[in-house]
Amino acid sequence: MKSEWVLSKDHLSYWLRQLRNERELIGPLRDGGKDILFRTVDMLHEIVLECPSSLPSPKGFLFPQYEAMFSCRGLSLSDGSDGKREISDLRDRTRRVIFGVRSCDVSAVRLLDAFCLGKLRDPYYEERRRNTFLISLVCNNPDPTCFCLGLGTGPYLEEGFDIQMTDLGDRYFVQAGSPEAVRTVRAMNFFFRKPRKVDYEDQYEVFLSSKARFRKRINLEGPRQAILSGKVGDDFWQEVTDRCFECGGCSYSCPVCTCFTVTDRINPEGIERARLWDSCMFKGFTRMAGGVLPNEKRVQRTKRWYYHKLVHYPRTTGKFGCVGCGRCAVACPGKIDMARTATKIKGLALKEEVE
Amino acid sequence: MNTIQTVCPYCGCGCGLYLHVEAGRIEGTSPSKLHPVNGGSLCVKGWNAHEFVSHPDRLKFPMIREDGRLRRASWDEALDLVARKLSGIKTSYGPDSIGILSSAKCTNEENYLMMKFTRAVLGTNNIDHCARLCHSSTVGGLAAAFGSGAMTNSINEIPEAKVLFVIGSNTTEQHPMIGKHMLEAVDRGAVLIVADPRRTQIAEFAHIHIRHKCGTDVALLMGIMNVIVNEGLVDVDFVRRRTENFDAFEEILRRFPPDVVEGITGVKAHDVRRVARIYSMEKRSMLFYAMGITQHITGIDNVRACADLVMLTGHIGLPMSGLNPLRGQNNVQGACDMGALPNVFTGYQPVSDSKTRTKFERAWRRKLPGGPGLTVMEMTDSAYEGRLKGMYIMGENPLLSDPDLSHVREAMKRLEFLVVQDIFPTETAEYADVVLPASSFAEKDGTFTNTERRVQLLRKAIPPVYESRPDWEILGDLMTRMGYRMNYRGAYEIMEEIALLTPSYGGIHHHRLQEGFGLQWPCPDGNHPGTPYLHRRKFARGLGTFIPIDFVPPDEPPDREFPLLLTTGRISFHYHTGTMCRRTMVLDREEPECYLEMNPLDADRLGLKHRSMVKVTSRRGSIKVRLYVTPRIPEGSVFIPFHFKEAAANILTNPAVDPNAKIPEYKVCAVRVEPLHAPREVEKPPVVDLEDLRIT
Repeated sequence: MKSEWVLSKDHLSYWLRQLRNERELIGPLRDGGKDILFRTVDMLHEIVLECPSSLPSPKGFLFPQYEAMFSCRGLSLSDGSDGKREISDLRDRTRRVIFGVRSCDVSAVRLLDAFCLGKLRDPYYEERRRNTFLISLVCNNPDPTCFCLGLGTGPYLEEGFDIQMTDLGDRYFVQAGSPEAVRTVRAMNFFFRKPRKVDYEDQYEVFLSSKARFRKRINLEGPRQAILSGKVGDDFWQEVTDRCFECGGCSYSCPVCTCFTVTDRINPEGIERARLWDSCMFKGFTRMAGGVLPNEKRVQRTKRWYYHKLVHYPRTTGKFGCVGCGRCAVACPGKIDMARTATKIKGLALKEEVE
Repeated sequence: MNTIQTVCPYCGCGCGLYLHVEAGRIEGTSPSKLHPVNGGSLCVKGWNAHEFVSHPDRLKFPMIREDGRLRRASWDEALDLVARKLSGIKTSYGPDSIGILSSAKCTNEENYLMMKFTRAVLGTNNIDHCARLCHSSTVGGLAAAFGSGAMTNSINEIPEAKVLFVIGSNTTEQHPMIGKHMLEAVDRGAVLIVADPRRTQIAEFAHIHIRHKCGTDVALLMGIMNVIVNEGLVDVDFVRRRTENFDAFEEILRRFPPDVVEGITGVKAHDVRRVARIYSMEKRSMLFYAMGITQHITGIDNVRACADLVMLTGHIGLPMSGLNPLRGQNNVQGACDMGALPNVFTGYQPVSDSKTRTKFERAWRRKLPGGPGLTVMEMTDSAYEGRLKGMYIMGENPLLSDPDLSHVREAMKRLEFLVVQDIFPTETAEYADVVLPASSFAEKDGTFTNTERRVQLLRKAIPPVYESRPDWEILGDLMTRMGYRMNYRGAYEIMEEIALLTPSYGGIHHHRLQEGFGLQWPCPDGNHPGTPYLHRRKFARGLGTFIPIDFVPPDEPPDREFPLLLTTGRISFHYHTGTMCRRTMVLDREEPECYLEMNPLDADRLGLKHRSMVKVTSRRGSIKVRLYVTPRIPEGSVFIPFHFKEAAANILTNPAVDPNAKIPEYKVCAVRVEPLHAPREVEKPPVVDLEDLRIT
């Protein structure tokens, strides 16, 4: 049977309150400066239901910027442990429900799942992912920087979501995509009702109107073909690179990037091993033991970032390593984000065809 | 998880960022998307601003030196000792035998309190901070010309400008978010002129890149002004109505025709003319400068030349039109505003003025000294000569940041009593008698003032780590122990006192800064919305003054013995003495060691190989660094970043100072570069003719 329901808007906060009993509720909230950020919800009415995309992406709840992995006592006598070795696992086991995620970010989580829970499993990610439940809202108000439409990663999803909700004015169309999601809704089914024909029609209308609101229509397949056919030369990448500030903002803000580095912190009370976000845009990221920097030139790194997302990702997973959330367009001080670069590549390819 | 809105602790851009706090720990940083300065971007330091906060090296408890070693002490014990010692020095040698270094890294409230402590409790004007080393020439030079030394425009005006003239600033690396706005302006069709001997990243976007010789900025600017006058590009109306002393200035200007300037600076007369025409003919012209202008023995003259240029063309007092010194530290503007300088109270009210002094005496109920105090460099000299007996250093690291470090080290050794208050053990703390652990930016409330005069609220994200305490609490406690009762309940109460005594901060209170992104001073009353650009209709001092200046060559030009010209500066991954960034994993990994940039032609001539180790020697000392051969630096010059304690560039630099501003000449000194290891004679392998080996 179809796992679809309709929820009256009046019942939303009641439902969220019920969910909060079991899990930490995270939602998009406005901060002092009116920015949208995902954080723990104290007051349910403060959740911003129609908002521009958050910066950073909700990636941080699954893969935080600084994540303690484990701590170790007893490696030295000075930490007061009498030489007895003790290793404690610091994996985060908080059960969370993230409400108001955008479809593009849900698609990004699917990509992260494919990467972190594939052949090699990342236990830290796995633990957090298992405890995190995503409720996404169909995006009917895309930002000027958004381009998920051309990638099929938004504004609504056909599959791959936990719970997807569509705003139909006075009610939500609720779709459950995972067994746990079905269980969650069924547990409180007395205020969900079965959808009628008119609900399906309204939902379809919302989908259509949402699609019509996109300002950017970018398909990454064209640029990929152009790169593969060798139309994009090094001088093009050099031109892009000249504007790179080496801030790492593209990777830090990207919901798909997962580069990290590991460090040990030697505290008086023991050693803590932690992993931190890193970026392949830095030359030290691939520093060799002898101090050799294989990618010392900035152009090599910029090119690698784009190649990874546009060429290597499709080759290994069949999907682009970009979900069109447009965050790099906001974060990049040099304005060399995915959308702009893809458009430029397309222009380059077209120009060549004409010539 | 909670997010705390706060301000970046690194450079003067003052970017807005959020700290992500999970269970009492800071887990991440993210930029503020709507902030007028950074608008969703951050530089690499900003993105990693949270990491050093919980670094294991943080100072954890107060320490007292006993038998040459630092031992743990309680706050009571340490503060009592400081109070007793400072009072003792004050009574036996007089108040002027104590020197105070305040900090451009601390909040406005803390700087104010430090200033109050120095003047009201200790009774001396010997207070200064690192602004001496970066923009004291700006404060002095612009105060004389306009009456106020600060960026005249706002950062978010930059994209609308039509001409950007950047002189002596590596903007994309040192003020990345200002660089971002500059690139946007260029994208929108603005003309970018960069004057910098080095080929910096911003110079790559310049329509005209002038590579004048280091230390010839006055000549270059005078040449440009000469062309403007001779070609009739002067804004006569502006000069007549709003300035004075033009005639005396024009007299000197005649000595700098473009072909003479070409001889001094090495810039083609044609380029000087082009720049003069482009800059003067567009009203929306913004002039930017930074350390490349100020850190010279002629620093104040350089700044005056910039001010003269702006007044000559009338490019000031309008939006997108003005003179913009880019301040280095996150709160260097605020520390200057708060009067952490030897000659002024808050808001640049001179201590020599008896009316101002009476105002402060009535507010503080203490007799205040009237003569100007010692500057950073004078304090070091005075300590070296044994006249200065005690020093209190808050959040500064003179043992890496001051020029001629061996001299500074000796001076610190000779002090009778030295207190260092910091968040990390610094080079300076090694000589301290008492070390006090302070809280970092994430653990306290307060305000920072960024380079565009925007006063922004800093918010506490986590409680102070270990036993550390916010600087203002420490100072308040110490003042109480020295017999001056202090009972502020929070930083907001200190801000109220500042607003009461400072006309330009009159309407700035914490509750007004809660929403939005701060206020730009002057903000004289509680309803004032802040001032985005200065000197509208009237200069702060009334009429702007043209100050005649002449070209003076650098103090230590290269010669036969030391044939290369060394210039120092920063790199994008590091910040000043590296106390914070070198404890950030990613930043330290990117640039773990000091290097020397040298032109390929020089390297060939000296027989030096890329990435080999070299020894750099000046008249004051020598360091060992890795050689980096790059055409970014012109022939005859070399560049070293000054962040690295292992190879401190400031061992080499020249302590000669500008006679007025007392700013040392970091940007020019003469050095010699030698290979560290004698180049090995490599036997050439025998040449094999591949044709002979071919099997037929």
